Amino acid sequence: MERAENPGRERILARIHSALRASAPRHDAGEKRAIFVSVADPLERFQQQCALTSTECMLVPDAAAAAEALRTVLESIPAGEIFAQDAPLLHRIVQRAEGGRAVRWSNAGPPNEGSQATITLAECLVASHGSVLIASNGAGRAASVAAPVHIVLAGESQLVPDLASALARAKQDRLAETNSCLFLITGSSRTADIEKILVLGAHGPRRLVVIVMRDLDA
Amino acid sequence: MTTASQEFLRAAARESANLPRRQAIRRAIDQYDAAVQRGREQFLDYEAARRKCYEIKWEALNHLDRYLEEFEQRVRARGGQVFWAERAEDARRYVVDLATARGVRTVVKSKSMVAEEIHLTPALEKLGARVFETDLGEFIVQLRNEPPFHIVTPAMHLTRADIAKLFEEKLAEAMSPAASRDDPAELVAAARRALRRAFFSAEMGITGANFLVADAGLIAITTNEGNDRLGTALPRIHVAIAGIEKVIPRLEDLAVLWPVLATAGTGQTITCYNTLIGGPRAPAEVDGPQEFHVVLLDNGRTDLLADAEQRDVLHCIRCGACLNACPVFRSIGGHAYGTTYSGPIGSVLTPHLRGLNEFQHLSYASSLCGACTTVCPVQIDLHHHLLHNRRNAVRASDRPWSERLAFRFWRWTMSGSRRFALAGWLGRATLRGVRALGLAGTTLDLLRPWTRYHAAPVIPRKSFRALWRKNGAR
Repeated sequence: MERAENPGRERILARIHSALRASAPRHDAGEKRAIFVSVADPLERFQQQCALTSTECMLVPDAAAAAEALRTVLESIPAGEIFAQDAPLLHRIVQRAEGGRAVRWSNAGPPNEGSQATITLAECLVASHGSVLIASNGAGRAASVAAPVHIVLAGESQLVPDLASALARAKQDRLAETNSCLFLITGSSRTADIEKILVLGAHGPRRLVVIVMRDLDA
Repeated sequence: MTTASQEFLRAAARESANLPRRQAIRRAIDQYDAAVQRGREQFLDYEAARRKCYEIKWEALNHLDRYLEEFEQRVRARGGQVFWAERAEDARRYVVDLATARGVRTVVKSKSMVAEEIHLTPALEKLGARVFETDLGEFIVQLRNEPPFHIVTPAMHLTRADIAKLFEEKLAEAMSPAASRDDPAELVAAARRALRRAFFSAEMGITGANFLVADAGLIAITTNEGNDRLGTALPRIHVAIAGIEKVIPRLEDLAVLWPVLATAGTGQTITCYNTLIGGPRAPAEVDGPQEFHVVLLDNGRTDLLADAEQRDVLHCIRCGACLNACPVFRSIGGHAYGTTYSGPIGSVLTPHLRGLNEFQHLSYASSLCGACTTVCPVQIDLHHHLLHNRRNAVRASDRPWSERLAFRFWRWTMSGSRRFALAGWLGRATLRGVRALGLAGTTLDLLRPWTRYHAAPVIPRKSFRALWRKNGAR
């Protein structure tokens, strides 16, 4: 299974070399034109997109208000353990919001199968599509999909206008080098495989909640 | 006539007469069409988006060796394994040997057309492993022992009643007794319950890849259900299988490819889960597999790459838009093709992957209307490639002398105006004669192949040329 046992590699590469000796036709490039509808107000656009993809977006002034918002979300969820990313900001917020629930922190391992909700941070929020970008070295891979509810806490300063800026930022921050995975998540898990009828909560969360704090430092 | 083409004609006749099935297909595609209209609103200029995707794929394919090596090197640097498989059996053997060596008993699979192409599941099952398809549509067709009906919507041909009946039979323990059987939400919940056990017990997760990002060394997987996410988080081994043509140069290319794939595939602005994976669990991470393997499959793709005229067929991102737009697919559905890839892209691709002679009939399973080319988000010239395949098949095979003679005669007739006029007069006179003798609709009627299914056309008394001479260009 090591490279030495893979003679196919050289043969495939040799076939590619010889195939590419003939050059393929190419359509005229034409003039460069804008592709996407531009994002005028990122926060407003993010909220609009969240509404379209059934993401619950809660805009709050600061961490204290975020704890309050988180408490109301947790109150709507059946009793049981919740899982949270081990980060100082989340410790402060979750402590004020858990209301006596057992909390499993990510430094103790991935979420249990029976977790009722998972709480994580994000790398950035993408206004154009209402998406959140999450890296695996935070709460891991299962954290954003294992429970019926996934709650993301983020600051407004993490908002970027579109996918191109999100991916450029990921590259600039060397996220691909420091993480084994990156997840772009837009809305909750869904399927339309039965008669094209939309059903939320296929294998992942039924609810995606994004709590956006206008001022992260307050 | 070869067996594959005989089977195709039989299946096409049968399926096009299956009216309930055609209604199910039409309903699904009507909803898709409406969603695509909404999805396209995110683009200021959809044609510019298609052009950009074409440019990205052109760049990647025409420097394929460089980008594949860059991808491989970055995945290896993160501790992943990359295996290059020349043929389907090489890829199959690699995965089966790995599963054997690691004592794998349960496999959770995300949707992968390449896994279908190499018939991976039967090979793993022969080993004694249980393989669960985890995409809902794939799970449904797996329970029915059927291949996927459509690249993106595998269970497009089934109604909720069909699926409810199937689940009653095969999934009784996961169905909740009180719930309404016809409620799609309940059927989804039953599948979720049934597959959750598999996710948490599987030792191996198998996925495809929508893109291989060269400059970041990441595979990109797109799903709505999040099944890929669970399948690449929980099992201790992750195997991703992808055709070599899936590579793209830069991470930023996804900024246009993701939205275009979503809109062309389902009409969404972006798919729910776009996952980028570059290796096994890193030392500081909470979870993830211990092993990450990428299998790069050739299986005929380098032959297609060598055909400069048709190299752009490898641009395909498997969105299924050409299937949905195709009047032939809409009439006969995906199973009638008898191939892994159906619809226009399947008709173009299959002769390259499995033999031009045996699958040349697919080049004729098209009215050449060009709807496929119009909707293709990476600007593949699909209907002209169907013509190219026809030409190549005729060149490569020994056509009967009678056919060659007939075409020579036809060309001679068409290339002289008097001969053309005479042929027209003869044709009209013959048809009128056949009708006058009461032979219309019999085997002696030249129009019978048409009139079997259509109203007979009116035979004009005079030719267009005669009318033109009489009336001029009024």
